[in-house]
Amino acid sequence: MKNVTLFLYEWKHFIRNPFKVMAILLFIMASVYGLHNGADLYHEQKAEVKKIEQRIKGDRQKIIKEHYQKGNLVPENRPWIDYSTPFWALWYASVYHFKNPSPAMVYSIGQAEQYGFYKRITFRASPYDADLAQEIANPERLQTGTLDFSFTLLFLAPLVLLVLLYNLKSAEIEQGFMPLIEVQNPSKITWLLSRMGFYAVLLFLVIAGLLFYGAMLTRILAGTGNAFRDMLLYSFIYLVFWSVLFFFILLKGKSILGNTLQMTGIYLLFTFIIPATVHQLLSIRQPANLMTDLIDVRDQQEELYSQPDSVFQAQLNELFPAIVSSPVYKDSSKRKLAMNRSASALINELKKASIQPIEKDKQVKNAFVRGTFWFNPISFFQNRFNAIAHTHYDDYQSYRDEIQALVDSQVRKMVLDTWHDVKVDQEKFSKYQKMSVE
Amino acid sequence: MMMWQIIKNEWHFLARNRVLLGISFGFVGILFLTVYLGNLQTQEQAQRYQTAQTHLRQQWENIEEMNPHSAAHYGTYVFKPTCLLSGLDEGVNSITGNVLRVEGHVQNEIVHSEASQMQAISKFGKLKSALLLQYIIPLLLIFLAFQSIYGEKQGGRLKLLLLQGTHLTQILVAKTLSVCLYGIGLLGLTISVYVLLNLNSINTDILGRTALLFLSYSFYYFILSGLTVFFSARWENTNLALTSMLGIWIVWTIFLPNVLMSSVERWHPLPSREAFKTAMKEDRSKGLDGHNPADKRSKALEEKVLKEYGADSLAQLPINFDGIVMQEDEEYGNKVWDEHFGNLRKALAEQKQTYQLGGLINPFISLQNTSMGFAGNDNLHHQEFLVQVENYRRVFIKTLNDKHAYGGSRTGDWSWKAGNDFFRSVADFEYSPPVLSSVFSHYVFDIILLLFWGLLTAILLIFGTKKMSIL
Repeated sequence: MKNVTLFLYEWKHFIRNPFKVMAILLFIMASVYGLHNGADLYHEQKAEVKKIEQRIKGDRQKIIKEHYQKGNLVPENRPWIDYSTPFWALWYASVYHFKNPSPAMVYSIGQAEQYGFYKRITFRASPYDADLAQEIANPERLQTGTLDFSFTLLFLAPLVLLVLLYNLKSAEIEQGFMPLIEVQNPSKITWLLSRMGFYAVLLFLVIAGLLFYGAMLTRILAGTGNAFRDMLLYSFIYLVFWSVLFFFILLKGKSILGNTLQMTGIYLLFTFIIPATVHQLLSIRQPANLMTDLIDVRDQQEELYSQPDSVFQAQLNELFPAIVSSPVYKDSSKRKLAMNRSASALINELKKASIQPIEKDKQVKNAFVRGTFWFNPISFFQNRFNAIAHTHYDDYQSYRDEIQALVDSQVRKMVLDTWHDVKVDQEKFSKYQKMSVE
Repeated sequence: MMMWQIIKNEWHFLARNRVLLGISFGFVGILFLTVYLGNLQTQEQAQRYQTAQTHLRQQWENIEEMNPHSAAHYGTYVFKPTCLLSGLDEGVNSITGNVLRVEGHVQNEIVHSEASQMQAISKFGKLKSALLLQYIIPLLLIFLAFQSIYGEKQGGRLKLLLLQGTHLTQILVAKTLSVCLYGIGLLGLTISVYVLLNLNSINTDILGRTALLFLSYSFYYFILSGLTVFFSARWENTNLALTSMLGIWIVWTIFLPNVLMSSVERWHPLPSREAFKTAMKEDRSKGLDGHNPADKRSKALEEKVLKEYGADSLAQLPINFDGIVMQEDEEYGNKVWDEHFGNLRKALAEQKQTYQLGGLINPFISLQNTSMGFAGNDNLHHQEFLVQVENYRRVFIKTLNDKHAYGGSRTGDWSWKAGNDFFRSVADFEYSPPVLSSVFSHYVFDIILLLFWGLLTAILLIFGTKKMSIL
């Protein structure tokens, strides 16, 4: 009962300290600003996806109207194009793959601004094409980092907690009240815990309220609400982590100055020094990949073209055994053109092979980062929040994998339909679009 | 003289304080380690850059024979080199891409940034000297200064000093300088070690940049030390002085740069990639199409060239008209790129100018700008690199198109190939980092703001403490 009284009495301490009230208000303002930043990016990306979808729809309709419906399959001004062939029909099918933003982006922008979220899929595409580049942004802004909710939670919440707690117990010691308090409270730990508990609960309630506000901005709760639940859970664990650290400092500390110094030191250690050291060590161990493996495909491609037709054909046959029984394979007059058009399939294989060491390099880097989580909790929580918001590296890696799968599928379709001499009409053209998108 | 005596006393006091001495040694150790690691990372990256660049050049020089226009499509790649001062302040380098494709018909964007190659690690970048100099040392200075006057008041020494004839302003300035000099000492050590480690690569430009970097940080340390001493003198409570300065540190270094930078991008919006590309594509389509001889504009050019050479048909031309069309196509494209990329650079410059104004309320912004600017790693230097690559691309493609047009082939002969000697003769890209004198004007405003803040702090110390209680 006494502890509950202590807990409730702390409210009076709190409201009488304008510095602490200001800290909470500043935190709320920063968080609301951060939530709106996240929500704005979510809405911007959604609008961009919609805009591109509309443009694609228009492009496709134009081709259907001008070429398939009018029967003008070989345009006069571009005689090398033939819309009745799978090669050109697929090329102009304007297939895009999107990484639709998650409503949970409101909580953490994460790495969303470092990657593209839409990509044109063709049989010549690759998940490392330049058109998958990030949105145009000021590099200095990206370097400073956008103030999103996860930033306020990760970096400002511990500071707010520091401001709320820094003088607990030490103020009583400095003012000489401690012996009196010890007489009234047999357990110093319970007394401190009750007082600390008030601020921890207060901050958690503020965070929960902010999470709820964020959920309203992008209608997270209209879905499964898992993101809201997970954010609440991890915010709680994060707050407990800092509370435990600060509790031990306060328990052992005897002066306000000493406590402030130690709490600030711990804060700097976990938020600045450890993540920055890990980052630096990783950069020395694995410097930025300059993608020369991928660039080398250019020469491999030249070598591919210079091979005798028989070798080229054998490679194609191995990749697509169905070619051997196709009508074009048996027709020598059409075989050369089909072979040329099928080159994309072999180049796709070359690209995939060259991407492997790059992906491996990235896996090593990410494994290194994960291996530091046990002593680098801020990076752990940062990546957890990003994962909840679907703005984590892994989400973009999955997106790249999906792109590769779609490219493979389009390559397969283009090669097999070319060798089976498929004539593309309006219906088939529409199927090509759906085939790739699904 | 009295001021110097106070500073000396302060330093004696600091030297006698074992905790502070321990912290100082620890800091010096961390700073040395940071400089060493920063330097090592820059060297590793430079090594990787050199290997990649040599590999790419070899590929280009190994072209036995190829049609010049095919070579324009084959193109080459340019990698972003590391700057010597990256070890001190990396600036935007880990965010911007590293690889730029140079080819015909298109101005590509730089891709494959380091940040995109792994999951998030550190929101404040790597453990570079700039991280300690911008975030940690200022905090240390606050902790050193917040009790400086209050402590003297409490111990009755302030009254004694004033009775001995020392002016209050002298005491305040001396206290500020003693703390500020501690920070400047750490800064000086960091830069000295860095210079020593890179003695072979140091030139006057680098020295000039380093000196300005040193000056910017020194101003900032004076501002922070002075403000803390001011609060220590004004507030009746030492905790209030500390918490006020901690609040200022949080707002200046963590809160405001983020808020201002995000706001600046809203005030001067950049186009979306889709809008940017679509607009360029549309403008590009208004020019001639180098790959389509039936194009109306190609026909007009054909008539002009035929008239020039007094020929009736392309077959009669002693040159290859295809190469001329390709170059004309490039020239038109260049105008389009200049307009669109120019607008982009203009918007980025406007963002920067507005952000620089933020220095009026937050000197940390001015410090950040000068730090990465003088280190040669801000967006201005990045844009300069991109412009140099684009200029190279234009010369590179023109060389290939000229060879195509005037190298001995005839119109329509796409099987004609230039030899290895020609490809070897095409110069490789060489980046010339902008010299300090050419970019200095961009940072004058930041320096003025740091000076303004320094002056404001001095005014506060001199006039803002007139009515302070000395008991």
